[in-house]
Amino acid sequence: MKVSQDLVSDVAEVLLTEEQIAAKVAELGQRITADYAGHELTLVSVLKGSLPFMADLMRRISLPVRIDLMEVSSYGGNATESSGLVRILKDLSAPIEGRDVLLVEDIIDTGLTLNYLLRYLKGKNPRSIKVCSLLDKPARRLVEFPLDYVGFEIPDAFVVGYGLDFGEVYRNLRFVGVLRPEAYES
Amino acid sequence: MDSREQLGMGQSGMTDEAATPGQRSDYGFAHASEAEFARILDFYQVAWEYEPTVFAILWDLDGNVLESFAPDFYLPDLELFIELTTLQQRLVRKKNRKVRRLRELYPGLRIKLFYARDFRALMLKYGRAALVSELSGTLGQVTSRQEAEASVAPGDRLVGLDRSSNRSGDGDLGPSGSNAEGRPNHERRSRASRRRAVRKAAASTLRAPAT
Repeated sequence: MKVSQDLVSDVAEVLLTEEQIAAKVAELGQRITADYAGHELTLVSVLKGSLPFMADLMRRISLPVRIDLMEVSSYGGNATESSGLVRILKDLSAPIEGRDVLLVEDIIDTGLTLNYLLRYLKGKNPRSIKVCSLLDKPARRLVEFPLDYVGFEIPDAFVVGYGLDFGEVYRNLRFVGVLRPEAYES
Repeated sequence: MDSREQLGMGQSGMTDEAATPGQRSDYGFAHASEAEFARILDFYQVAWEYEPTVFAILWDLDGNVLESFAPDFYLPDLELFIELTTLQQRLVRKKNRKVRRLRELYPGLRIKLFYARDFRALMLKYGRAALVSELSGTLGQVTSRQEAEASVAPGDRLVGLDRSSNRSGDGDLGPSGSNAEGRPNHERRSRASRRRAVRKAAASTLRAPAT
């Protein structure tokens, strides 16, 4: 994998600018604030891709919120994985029983990871559980969900930036862009 | 009631083959991409069945089945059929037509056609882009065209069933002799023969779906 030093050179097209993302995050924050007024909300961020979104979103929610982090293994992501099954790499640090949970995701494409996570979290008996994703790529969907909060529906392209990676790189781009094919074909 | 019950599966135009939920080692996949897809479903603990249902999609005036279609996967928890294709556009058009026909005849059924570009994106997402070429197209094919055609009786061709070892009328034949599961091809042909026999028997009783 050959990565350009400025990262930006590997991006074919800026799909969402920093300003567009900020405006959308503010809008989502307002909606969530209104919808959860009077409730005890726990934001659960799914590492690593949703970190920037989580950090920005929580500061746009004008409610007392708790935050927690989870990480699950990805298919093909660990050569030493022996079980061949998805695993929780980092679990919640506090119980969510009886709480309203908002799962914060960077992108939903196939829905396979989200399907697993929702089943897992529902087993912990939260009062409610909803999903907030910055990006939705419905063309790739295998498992259908009602997505409660969606920032942008995006076309069927490989995107990086604002938390999204390719080979653990590009997460720190401030925008969301389409990766040049040369970047992942090299 | 799931979509299959609603469609009266096994009674009008469709049959079940007593498939059991996913254990990839038990299946004789026709294509390496299918085996990889099954591994992904296993990883995320999504139950699946491999080619569990044959749908009749074309009949003659006497009600005999002329053409049928067996989608590659059924995900029972999601009530979703999935057909994978990693082959060239000519065959994609054929599958598009079959899927369109299936949707017309069985409107309650949910089916998704997973194209080569979808499979490629999936592999890219999971850091397995390097495997795409060997899992796609004819390189990922399990049996050779000659072997497949030699093992099919003329009657099979007439009704459009199972031309490619254990595929049901999809016609995705290619030149490679590689085996997705690493099993000898004679073992696969044996499994395919059993499948073909079941499907031939089933096809003889298939009729148009109730409307």
